[in-house]
Amino acid sequence: MSVIEVKDLVRDYVIGEGLFNKKKKVVHAVKGISFSVEKGEIFGLLGQNGAGKTTTIKMLITMLAPTSGICKVLGYDTFGQEKMIRNRINFVFGGEYGLYRRLSARDNLKYFANLYKMPRKERDERVEELLALVGLTDRADTRVETFSKGMTQRVQIARGLINSPEVLFMDEPTIGLDPLGAEMLRETILEVNSKGTTVLLTTHNMYEADELCGRIAIIKEGELLALDTPAAIKGRLTPRKAKPAVQEEITLEDAYIQLVKGGDDA
Amino acid sequence: MKSSSVLLTSMLVQMKQTFSRNMFKFTLFVGPFLTTIILGEMYRHSTADNFVAYVVLGSGLWSLWNCIAFSSAGDIHRERYSNTLSIIFSAPADFRLILLGKIFGNTVLSMGSFFLSIFYATLLYRHPIIVNNWPLLIAALALAIVAFIIMSIFIAYLLTLSRKTTIYMNCLEIPFALICGFVFPIENLPQGVQYFSWIFPPTWAVRLLRYSVTETAYGFWENFIPLVITMAVFAVLAAWLYRIIFRQSKILGTLDMA
Repeated sequence: MSVIEVKDLVRDYVIGEGLFNKKKKVVHAVKGISFSVEKGEIFGLLGQNGAGKTTTIKMLITMLAPTSGICKVLGYDTFGQEKMIRNRINFVFGGEYGLYRRLSARDNLKYFANLYKMPRKERDERVEELLALVGLTDRADTRVETFSKGMTQRVQIARGLINSPEVLFMDEPTIGLDPLGAEMLRETILEVNSKGTTVLLTTHNMYEADELCGRIAIIKEGELLALDTPAAIKGRLTPRKAKPAVQEEITLEDAYIQLVKGGDDA
Repeated sequence: MKSSSVLLTSMLVQMKQTFSRNMFKFTLFVGPFLTTIILGEMYRHSTADNFVAYVVLGSGLWSLWNCIAFSSAGDIHRERYSNTLSIIFSAPADFRLILLGKIFGNTVLSMGSFFLSIFYATLLYRHPIIVNNWPLLIAALALAIVAFIIMSIFIAYLLTLSRKTTIYMNCLEIPFALICGFVFPIENLPQGVQYFSWIFPPTWAVRLLRYSVTETAYGFWENFIPLVITMAVFAVLAAWLYRIIFRQSKILGTLDMA
């Protein structure tokens, strides 16, 4: 069963250019992409900066309206049927934003749990459980503004899991994390996925995508370039195209670079 | 968890966040002091009635408005920059309740600036505080706070649609205080501007407050009825505006800075 269904999805932005006589300019961020994600899958969305990954995620999490096309999560339209979806999904954006930095980690999690209308007892138990999961129990009452980037990102992840979502969207969640922090995050993703959570992930880390994702979509300038398993995408890279030094072991990064650079036989 | 809990926790989180900001502390504690001095000097040689109506109440209302409006508008700006606006907007809880909770939080804190203004005015100028009808003053103050809250909701909704929050916020502060007659009677303004003043509920709330002090300046019903009507109109407009921003902010993509 598809929990995410995207078909011919288009998103345009209208921006004003010029100081006084502003001219309207249409930016085509997503140009008719199609893919679906099955229940329990970890699905990767890869692409360069500005490829349209974040815009696609924003449409999926009910934050942004599609210009045209189908954009469904759990069988409901993300624009118009938001109420049917919001309680069952959550999202994590990379970076240090998305939290109340003057509040403690515990206060942040409690507040966001309240926005998911969780009963007090369940909320308190869930908050403690998540603080333990991300290893922040000892610092739970410290203001987030004093946290390192990695610790802030861990609070973000705990926030994203607060409602035990059926579908978790993660936009570059390991950005800025040190190797140990990134490893911890990957383990967390695998753990929540093993409990049945479907994960849609964007990342620039090809090793991460290869290790975690069952299938991958590569987009460039708003268009879909490839959609397959990491092994199949790597398999498309012919030895002729692979660098001699890496012919023995073709990585997802090799395949990705070839695809994005315009290697049409990948 | 009930809607009231969303309202209450949003209010408490807002108060914690707001009070930890030094700029807000300045607006809360120092702002009223400066406003009181400006108005106190302007009305130094005026009557006792005018002193209470325009120095004590005027500085109190101006400070209250600054705190409520600036905090409410500034919060939209801060939430957008910290990427929490998109999160609270996309949460299952009703965004209207979250925003109302935040405005309640700002209002509770801002009441401090109102009472501080009264304290500064009595301390600095030692004028007797003569009020003809204390129960009416308290009731009118409560209505004025409701009027400010309705205006804040309206403004906060409008600012959700635009990223130029700080510009609008700064454009609003002083003109609104002048147009609504916080520091001098709106009758001093040109007739055309007075028509504009009549649109806003705080204008009538201020007149009702002054009536409770002097009972000669304006009539009760002449101000109470327009106050209720304008509050109802702005409340309906805010509800209508919410329906628009709920759609438009997703179409225009204005919930975050990216």
